[in-house]
Amino acid sequence: MAQKTVELTLGRTPEMGVGGKPVMGPLAPIDMPEPDMESENMLVNIGPQHPATHGVLRLVCELDGETVVKCTPHIGYLHSSFEKLGEYRTWNQIVPLTDRMDYLAPLIYNCAYIMSVEAMMGIEVTERCKLTRVIMMELDRIFGHLLWLGTFVMDLGAFTPFLYTFTERERIYRLHEAYTGARITTSATRVGGMMSDMPEGWAQGVRDFCHGLPRTLEECETLLDNHGIFLSRCQGIGVISGEDALNYGLTGANLRGSGVPYDVRKDQPYYDYETYDFEIPVGEYGDSYDRYLCRMEEMKQSLRILHQALDRLEKAKGPMDVEDPRITLPSKTDAMSDMESMIHHFKLVTEGLHAPVGESYFPVEASKGELGMYVVSDGGTKPVRWRVRPPSFVNLAALPSMLEGHLLSDLITINASIDIVLGEIDR
Amino acid sequence: MGLNDKAPPQIVGASPGLLGEGTPAFFTSKLDFLVNWARRNSLWPNPLGTACCGIEMMAAFASDYDLARFGMERMSFSPRQADVLVCAGRVTYKFAPVLRRIWDQMTQPKWCISMGACASTGGVFDVYSMVQGIDTIIPVDVYIPGCPPRPEALIYALMMVQEKIKQESLDQHAILRAEDPAAVAKPRADEEEIGDLSGPFGNSTEQNRVSGLERTDVISRPGDRLP
Amino acid sequence: MADERSGFDAVVEGPKPSYQGELSPVQVQSPGEVHESVEALRDLFGEAVLRHDVVANGQHIVFVPPERNLEILTWLRDDPEQQYDLLRDVTAVDYGGGQPLQVVYQLFSFFHKNALCVKCELPLDDLEIESVVSLWKAANWLEREVYDLFGITFKNHPDLRRILMPPDYAEGHPLRKDFPLRGRFSRAEQTRRALSQDLDHYYFDAEIERGGEPQELPPVAKTGEEAPE
Repeated sequence: MAQKTVELTLGRTPEMGVGGKPVMGPLAPIDMPEPDMESENMLVNIGPQHPATHGVLRLVCELDGETVVKCTPHIGYLHSSFEKLGEYRTWNQIVPLTDRMDYLAPLIYNCAYIMSVEAMMGIEVTERCKLTRVIMMELDRIFGHLLWLGTFVMDLGAFTPFLYTFTERERIYRLHEAYTGARITTSATRVGGMMSDMPEGWAQGVRDFCHGLPRTLEECETLLDNHGIFLSRCQGIGVISGEDALNYGLTGANLRGSGVPYDVRKDQPYYDYETYDFEIPVGEYGDSYDRYLCRMEEMKQSLRILHQALDRLEKAKGPMDVEDPRITLPSKTDAMSDMESMIHHFKLVTEGLHAPVGESYFPVEASKGELGMYVVSDGGTKPVRWRVRPPSFVNLAALPSMLEGHLLSDLITINASIDIVLGEIDR
Repeated sequence: MGLNDKAPPQIVGASPGLLGEGTPAFFTSKLDFLVNWARRNSLWPNPLGTACCGIEMMAAFASDYDLARFGMERMSFSPRQADVLVCAGRVTYKFAPVLRRIWDQMTQPKWCISMGACASTGGVFDVYSMVQGIDTIIPVDVYIPGCPPRPEALIYALMMVQEKIKQESLDQHAILRAEDPAAVAKPRADEEEIGDLSGPFGNSTEQNRVSGLERTDVISRPGDRLP
Repeated sequence: MADERSGFDAVVEGPKPSYQGELSPVQVQSPGEVHESVEALRDLFGEAVLRHDVVANGQHIVFVPPERNLEILTWLRDDPEQQYDLLRDVTAVDYGGGQPLQVVYQLFSFFHKNALCVKCELPLDDLEIESVVSLWKAANWLEREVYDLFGITFKNHPDLRRILMPPDYAEGHPLRKDFPLRGRFSRAEQTRRALSQDLDHYYFDAEIERGGEPQELPPVAKTGEEAPE
């Protein structure tokens, strides 16, 4: 298999920033002996209701002055037991649950889950369906990264990019709504296809969005890349080495920011990702700024994939769903006029699909990192086990080690830079 | 023409009026109206966004919907300065004491919006870890249906809170806004009511929550004795 | 075939297995397909490879005895021919009906671009297995989650306590098949328990010590009594 991994290194020297722009480094420590006083560490509780914890994360920090000695994250404040609930739902009924897990990029979750089920059932979807899912996943990668950008920068004290990114997000919301009828809870996929074919003009809408986004990104970069406060709060903050990152199981931009070019789309390609021409941005220092750069570049690479997929979609005129009466529902006309179709419809809706005995772990590159959907079937219409390997759950576990020795204010930067969403951490 | 023929009455030695020369220098109003006007147009929401609804709430605060138009752009992340608690998203039993404490910390007058199906009823999550409606824990003024509700729905709910404030009267304040220190950190509903409120409903086959109106008096807030 | 688990009885009683037959996965791929790591494991550990399944999507599953998991996983990580340096996932599967619980390790070799799934079967009366945190730090939280939701104890885990459920959760381990969907207690009892959590459930002992004695607030004057007529 000819597999090409092109590394795009976002290099910068400590003196010069990206593209030769000057960088304001952290202030030099004042060379003064610490006063010798009786002091003891202080305990600070942050969250669960705190604007900078991005949900209901709770961090208990032990502070020596302003330096974090030890940080213990407490999670589970949003544990909604998706996995248990999935055992009471048929294969198709689980799809609405998936988009409530990562509400920042719901379509990736929809697609990842259904791809895992299809892999287990041995279903090969049509070309048009594949392309539609690629478009949806790349669109939602941008969707998730845009929210990350807005909140990350807002946590560092800049409000304007938040408004810019939300303007772009509203465009994606409208695209979601045009296709699925919902802004966030899309539930777009079904086993063997999509909920429906795309509406008239939707592909053109995506293309228009792709043409408009680079300008907004440029505006945000203009605001941020030369901003002294932004740079000094990001650079050298939350450094994690490549080996450590791999050992901690970090994935996504957090791992790539540390210089490891691991991307599921390149390393275990699905849906013909090996035939798309795109690059994997890789950081050098593994700090918050590299993670920021990686995500900014990833959005531009996603745009490249989107353009290619939209070009291919024009040629793929075939059906959207698999034409197998055991899997796909018959058309409404057939169900209303043909006896057999109606029986099929009734059986499929009331009983659900029968999956073969088996299991499948399907890794997908989500906006936060590697998302693995693990489904186990015992031959019934419901899964025995539906397990989600949530990228942010594993990424967040590395927070205490990235935080040690930093100031309390850096906690906000680091926590925002690893891009967590509590819906999938707690599930 | 005829109306303007008459010169306005001149008040000799009086200061220029509120709205220009010759207009009255004072106006009368009901104190109730004035207080309610001030309260309802500067609501400070405490955005308690836990899940999907929180993202729609952010969208409501952001550029396209812009809640600042209603005097609500100042989000108060500290409950102590907040007027209205917007509980957006799923609430688990692990989070329930936190929610109760946030509510207890808010100072009167305070209102609560339960945003979305999960906060209002538990939604699809009729499971072991989820609170089946935050009204078992804290009193709720406005429920927003939807999973998640659109930002317009949140704006509408905030306007409904404004409507509610409009009807309040200061002479009832001490009764309506009284808080019992013994009720701090306790669930709002008693055991029987919690059982009623959190029974399966909707699609479930063992439906025992009545969707009709006879239950409404139980569900509503006990302190709600507004005209 | 009527699905036995349909109907909402299962919600109260816990799900029943929908299929009572032999539970060996369908060999979707050709059975002769080989996986280098599995062959190497067979050569080196011999009878420790209890079973080798190839399931859909070309995924290879190796069953190993639970008491040798650390040894085999260490070799898989450190051997230069294998180098499974990324631990993707640790989870467990409960098939119900008294069948043993499976602990599932999803490994990926970043260097060789190879994926492998290692499983250990634990009988219900002996839910103990060696922790792999010493190999991959990623296993820390993942194993805590398995402990929380399945009740599998990981020996030599640095910090084994509940992660998703509250520390004083008394109803059991939710993802086991005998656990009812709505929990064992009534909603009123669950609410009561949730709101009666005390300080110990928010902080560790060491943290409470650091924070000092909780202060008793002075009693609040009863308000609302001096309401005007």
